Amino acid sequence: MSKLEMKKIELIAMLTDSKKIIELLQRRGVVEISRNADGLDYMNVTGVIGEFEKFRNIAVQALGVLDRYAPEKKSVTEIFGSKSEMDINKFGSNAMQLEKIMTVAGEIVRSSQEITESEKKILQLNVRCDTLRQWKNLDIPVNFKGTATTTAFIGSVPSAVDITEILPENTYTETVYRSKEITDIFVISHKETADDTADILRKNGFIPLSETDSHTPAEIIKSCEKERQNLLKYITELEKHITGFAGQRKNLEFAVDYLSMRKDKYNALNLLGFTENTFVLNGYIPEKYTDKLRKELESKFTVYVDFTEPSEDDDVPVLLENGNFSAPVESITKMYAMPSKSDVDPTPIMSFFYYLFFGMMLSDAGYGLVMLIGTTIILKKFRLDDTMKKTMTMFRNCGISTIIWGALFGSWFGDIVQVIGREYFGKEIGSIAIWFQPLDDPIRLLLYSFGLGILHLFLGVGVSFKMSWDEGKKLDAILDTVPVYLTIIGVAPLASSILVSVPAIMKTIGTYLMIAGIVLIILTSGRSSKSVMGKFFGGLYALYNTATGYLSDILSYSRLLALGLATGSIAGVINLIGTMPENMIVKTVLLLIVFIVGHTANLAINLLGAYVHTDRLQFVELFSKFYTGGGREFRPFTADTKYINFREDI
Amino acid sequence: MNSIGLALAIIGASLATLFAGIGSAKGVGLVGEAAAGVVSVDPDKFSKVLVLQLLPGTQGLYGLLTAILMLSRIGVIGGNVTELTVAQGLMFLGASLPIAIVGLFSGIAQGRSAAAGVGITARKPEHNGKAIIMAAMVETYAILALLVSILLIYNIAI
Repeated sequence: MSKLEMKKIELIAMLTDSKKIIELLQRRGVVEISRNADGLDYMNVTGVIGEFEKFRNIAVQALGVLDRYAPEKKSVTEIFGSKSEMDINKFGSNAMQLEKIMTVAGEIVRSSQEITESEKKILQLNVRCDTLRQWKNLDIPVNFKGTATTTAFIGSVPSAVDITEILPENTYTETVYRSKEITDIFVISHKETADDTADILRKNGFIPLSETDSHTPAEIIKSCEKERQNLLKYITELEKHITGFAGQRKNLEFAVDYLSMRKDKYNALNLLGFTENTFVLNGYIPEKYTDKLRKELESKFTVYVDFTEPSEDDDVPVLLENGNFSAPVESITKMYAMPSKSDVDPTPIMSFFYYLFFGMMLSDAGYGLVMLIGTTIILKKFRLDDTMKKTMTMFRNCGISTIIWGALFGSWFGDIVQVIGREYFGKEIGSIAIWFQPLDDPIRLLLYSFGLGILHLFLGVGVSFKMSWDEGKKLDAILDTVPVYLTIIGVAPLASSILVSVPAIMKTIGTYLMIAGIVLIILTSGRSSKSVMGKFFGGLYALYNTATGYLSDILSYSRLLALGLATGSIAGVINLIGTMPENMIVKTVLLLIVFIVGHTANLAINLLGAYVHTDRLQFVELFSKFYTGGGREFRPFTADTKYINFREDI
Repeated sequence: MNSIGLALAIIGASLATLFAGIGSAKGVGLVGEAAAGVVSVDPDKFSKVLVLQLLPGTQGLYGLLTAILMLSRIGVIGGNVTELTVAQGLMFLGASLPIAIVGLFSGIAQGRSAAAGVGITARKPEHNGKAIIMAAMVETYAILALLVSILLIYNIAI
């Protein structure tokens, strides 16, 4: 259990088999390939990788376009990111069709580009139409320059100037359009006075209409409109064309996954070392897969496979494996850090307390039931990937723990049983707790919280004891842990006596144990120092550290009580609000609404609280006793796909 | 004189709601600003930053909880108003102070910490959990204050 034993793998095979072997390894997903460092040749495949990347991008784009024009109805299953399965025969036949699929993808992308183009064109047409609309009363072509003896000017002047007044005598002016700001005018002038006219116009801010079309504005607008209609029709056609490919979605998803697999495969090839006829693969593999992989490889190919023990300097990756009870909590360990070479896997150590604390913080049987039912349905109904499955199982186990604690404390959706009894049947039910209600005696639960905290801390100290012992530092193991145990066990009854009455004999024993522990700490903690004074002050300093450290650690467990109280009290408040009205019918309706909305919100926020603070108790209080972390996670060469699951178990 | 005692207790309940609520509102607001920046670039991170934004919200909830427990203890909620002496009123007022004051400051501090954590979520989303834990560290003190407030409320003799 816990950290899997890793072996180094060296594989030498014929060059002709290289792609097939790599493919096999990818499907098995149990080997992490590292770069070959023997000074052999490398295969330069960056070009091929780029090519795959390009095709994959087209497929991804095509999928994006499909999503826009023919959105797929997402089922609840997809929310959890499940992948569909595909067997090897289907895989092969699909791969043969890749060219076809890519043609479809290209067609989809091209169509979407055409749509964008057309939309741009429509926009330009609209702008042109809008400007020309002012000119629609002009019944000559817009590029009209005049006749043999006349010159024509078409354009706009600011409305502020009355242009007809200042133009020379033998000019004809027609106002086509007039607004507050500008006046569109058509001026025709005799050739002789044309220069004068042009001059006056220019001085008065005349802007010529820049159109080269030989049609009248009305005609242009009409043709614009027609073109616009055509483009719109074209767009609808293209959209239909794209929607027609909706059935190809699965194929496109396949192409995306297939191409990223191919890309990964070539990336892996990049890491290998080559000679003229053979190739060499180095990497890591969990020991338990070694025999099976060797058998499979040797039966199918001419290969030499060797598994060796990694040396001290090797950067060995870490893979966790735990039993059904602990495995779901692995993600919590990963969130902190993977265990380093010298660490043990903390997952099995903390898993029991993880469930215990989580349940105690949420501590409502009703909420636990909701969690249990919800996660069970999800686990049964949906095909989840590994990580998701573990997370759901973790919350299921936490839910069970929550039910147990809730039943012990008599909290079912707060005090809903008592409330209904009182409001509807006029009966005082009283406590239904198997153990006791926290609010009746919070001090008692506070002490139990500290007690559980001490056990949790002792577990951590115990692990550090075992680690030092196994390393051969037996004296250190004893001296670093026993005084701590003695002191805390001694202080516990003395401190409890502040809050509750403790038998005198326990106090006496406690006092002796405490003194023994303290003396041991002072005498032994400074042992690494050379001088006597150094030893003494080192001991005092260690005593101070131990006292403040463990005191704050233990007090930190009061959150077990506090968060439990918060859940229960807020749930009680929700029930209270629901039953405020006097009228029976109003009360029932309100209670129903407040019950559903209120308890959902309370569950959500306290679920988050319980999760976060359980994590904290593990990370800060427990891990600090023995765990450093900093290992590298094992990342096998595998089919890292988005839509389809290609992995096959070895 | 009795009504003064009651008034003091009610002031206490108000203070708990007020200050813890202000602290949370400030904290949640701070994280919201940072979170909106991330979501504007990558809307898929919404659910992750939402969790971070929710974290400083608990102080307000603790304040509310303290107030309601206090009000139900002195019978303002539930119908039978208990008569309190000035000393008892002051005791309730005192009991509200831990969550009121710690709630105010820890809410803001947790908001800052969570807002900084949004940066982690933006750049390294897989380390989102660490950001949550760092922000949760601050909450410890609000929890301790809540605990003291609750213990006081339930142990004042009336």
